[in-house]
Amino acid sequence: MSTAFDTIQPGLTLTGTPFSPTRESIRAFCDASLDYNPLHLDDDYMKTSFGKTQFGGIIMHGMNNFGVISRMLTDWLYPLGGVHRRLETRWKAPVRPGDTITPAAVVTARKVTAKSRFATLDVTVRNQRGELVASGEAMVEFPDMDAQP
Amino acid sequence: MLSTQAFETDFWKDEQLRKVWDQIVPGEPRKTLPYTLTLEAIQKYCRAVGDMHPLYFDEAYAKNSPYKGLIAPPAIHILLMFACTPPDDWMRSPGTINAGQQWSYNVPARPGDVIRLEARALDKFIRRDRLFVIHDNVFFNQHNQVICSGRGQTIRPA
Repeated sequence: MSTAFDTIQPGLTLTGTPFSPTRESIRAFCDASLDYNPLHLDDDYMKTSFGKTQFGGIIMHGMNNFGVISRMLTDWLYPLGGVHRRLETRWKAPVRPGDTITPAAVVTARKVTAKSRFATLDVTVRNQRGELVASGEAMVEFPDMDAQP
Repeated sequence: MLSTQAFETDFWKDEQLRKVWDQIVPGEPRKTLPYTLTLEAIQKYCRAVGDMHPLYFDEAYAKNSPYKGLIAPPAIHILLMFACTPPDDWMRSPGTINAGQQWSYNVPARPGDVIRLEARALDKFIRRDRLFVIHDNVFFNQHNQVICSGRGQTIRPA
């Protein structure tokens, strides 16, 4: 059995690689995700009213945030033999070109089940001003080392 | 492995064909399309989020890993959602705002997989003067194994 799980305790913190979106990176994400919503492409469109919300210019895809969080988890898990099993996110504020966002996580609980071992984490993403732009929860598994991921 | 599939990049083009919030029926399946996931598409996604892990780029490394070959990162469903749906799918409506997502991962997607999506709106509601739809989705590979499943919450254009 993997011993990595034994080192995972509540309170353990992770910090991911900062990501600095630009107009070019947002366009690259459009091409990579096939999501060409004008929210991410058209400044004139983004100057229009969205009900109570005013954006003023293009914003990064929320799912780019999701990908940055997911990368933090897999960068941590792969060397430990762990598996990324779940991620839930809520978007709190838009991310714009010129921002720098940094994902972080803290282990909240461990759970040994009938067949495996899991941990849960709270995840956050903050911008360069320390503002919360995304929050959520993740679940990771530490299976038997001989088991297929 | 090069992609031969072309996708519409102008989301205004088919706007009149898409269902608006009033016409979306919770429980009704969405039209979906099979999609062959290429290594090129996987790596394009990885570069876009700055994720250069060798499990996605280095075949020799990946073969010697527990995964026994190149895989896609878990969040590849970000691409699959649009790759597996047609241009008139309401997820492409300009002004659609993503409010949150929850995804569970089973087996990794791999280059060459032929991906199938089963998707539907699950719920719709009005909250704080905004029109919401909950959608749920399951992606399968060609062996009928679940790759991942998830729900998303979008605010619909009025």
